[in-house]
Amino acid sequence: MKEFEPVPARPAPDKTVGPLAWMKENLFSSLLNSLVTLAVMALLVYYIPPVLDWAFFSANWQGTSEDACVREGACWVFVNAWSYQFFYGTYPVEEIWRINLMLVLLALVILASFTLPKHIRLKASVIAWLVLPLVGIALLDGRLLGLPVVSTDLWGGFTLNVFMAAASIIVAFPFSFLWALGRRSNMPFIRSVSVIFIEFFRGVPVLSLFFMGSVMLPLFFAEGTNVDKLIRVWIVLIFFMSGYMAEVFRGGFAAVPSGQYEAADSIGLSYWQKIMLIILPQVIKVSLPNILATFVMLFKNTTFLLIIGIPEVVQTLQTALSNSYWLGGHALEGYLFVFLVFWSSCFSMSLLARRIERQMNTDKRD
Amino acid sequence: MSAAKPTADAEDVIVIENLNKWYGNFHVLRDINLRVKKGERIVICGPSGSGKSTTIRCINRLEEFQEGSLVVDGVEMIDDVKNIETIRKDVGMVFQHFNLFPHLTILENLTLGPIWVQKKPKAEAEATAMKYLERVKIPDQADKYPGQLSGGQQQRVAIARSLCMNPNIMLFDEPTSALDPEMIKEVLDVMVELAEEGMTMLCVTHEMGFAKKVADRVIFMDAGQIVEENEPNEFFNNPQNERTKLFLSQILNH
Repeated sequence: MKEFEPVPARPAPDKTVGPLAWMKENLFSSLLNSLVTLAVMALLVYYIPPVLDWAFFSANWQGTSEDACVREGACWVFVNAWSYQFFYGTYPVEEIWRINLMLVLLALVILASFTLPKHIRLKASVIAWLVLPLVGIALLDGRLLGLPVVSTDLWGGFTLNVFMAAASIIVAFPFSFLWALGRRSNMPFIRSVSVIFIEFFRGVPVLSLFFMGSVMLPLFFAEGTNVDKLIRVWIVLIFFMSGYMAEVFRGGFAAVPSGQYEAADSIGLSYWQKIMLIILPQVIKVSLPNILATFVMLFKNTTFLLIIGIPEVVQTLQTALSNSYWLGGHALEGYLFVFLVFWSSCFSMSLLARRIERQMNTDKRD
Repeated sequence: MSAAKPTADAEDVIVIENLNKWYGNFHVLRDINLRVKKGERIVICGPSGSGKSTTIRCINRLEEFQEGSLVVDGVEMIDDVKNIETIRKDVGMVFQHFNLFPHLTILENLTLGPIWVQKKPKAEAEATAMKYLERVKIPDQADKYPGQLSGGQQQRVAIARSLCMNPNIMLFDEPTSALDPEMIKEVLDVMVELAEEGMTMLCVTHEMGFAKKVADRVIFMDAGQIVEENEPNEFFNNPQNERTKLFLSQILNH
């Protein structure tokens, strides 16, 4: 009988791999393609040097006041001089360690959610995430820990944007999951309440919600109680965010095959065991890119808080721009700085999300 | 023994009487009567849409029914969470598409039920799980994820997952229909072994070789009804109903 002999694998021909082949394939595959490539390269050569020159080579880096900005390039002195306010608002300098500690805690909790040993990771990180906002409020406010009280009027800058967004998503997360579950419920009352809630917060502009939070929400509180403006905005952000995330979760639920529910039922799990152990992990996995996109949207929307006079980073920048010592027109530098800070945070979040996706991807063979 | 007789026999672990089910206005199961004795192996076959899967899915309440009664191991299937949970703990099920939990390792798939439903200590659950993985001949895959296994291996894991719950009755819903031909045998081998150990089994399948080898009774369904039931030799060699003859000629001579 004949023996079956597999043909050994050979490397691909040279002219189909490598950088030269890539360039030929992607940049110069036809006459038109080559012309477009050359035109784009010419534009880049023409425009990039002046931009680099403005931003770096002729920029002003040293100094503490506007007078230091003598060269024709960007006046980074402005950003440097105001960097404290941009980051921390008017939070007292001697208490700044509290904000920094909070940022470190946030980073630690994020890190722990991925690096802890697998058998305690889920439990430990869920607890850490739930405790974090409470610790944050206690630490930044101070009165519960016996520290000097820092009124929320003094909170501000980019760290306020970060904290508002983070504190909202943490609380909104379980709520939105419940809304999404409610929307799938068989019970008509629960389902209609969920639908009304979700559709209301998805269908209303976030700006009008902020106004409602600052103007109308106090009317609902008992007379004489004065609920902090930041807390009211926080509540609004939580509602807004949970409406959006509920829809994200709904998509995630739809992606889990009905066989998963049946298998969980057939081994006798109760409803909540089935949801928490089998369905939720799979829903989060498929929803993760959209959860992150929603979070990035919320994070950027926190700049709208300037409309109701909360000194987040853009509000702080506008204060700086109208300061009588800095009237030389530094809006470009200021906004570029805000762009850069937001962009780098959002981009690192996407990188992180891609890592989590890879880590959670158990479908592929190794 | 006549199946229509309503007196309960102590040996009957499943008693289905006049079961009727509708999807909306569509009458899917019509007057199903079926008794299964302890240790009995039953194969259910029939064309697609005949209600065979729906029938066994009623037994652990993956499907509800509107009329008739169903008693499993002395517990009546009524609309009560306690009863449903009791029955589900007693009945294992294997699906056509395996339905393993993709986010858990093989070992975690097997220990989930024992730990959360039966409240067993983790070490004990893992020991049991390894015992069953050895029985289905894949103990070396314990730490992999379902997506890393072949279809045949996944189906054997699914069988082991059900066995870990220590069921008295096993339901199989077309367990080999989604498998490549080369993998069907490894799954059937496990099922034959299980049958030889005396497990009560209800199996929806078109593997007629399996039916001839292990079944005590073969049931043929069409249009939501039980058309014919008989012991395998009689069923295959001497079918009583024209519809059964036609079905058998179609699946056996191709």
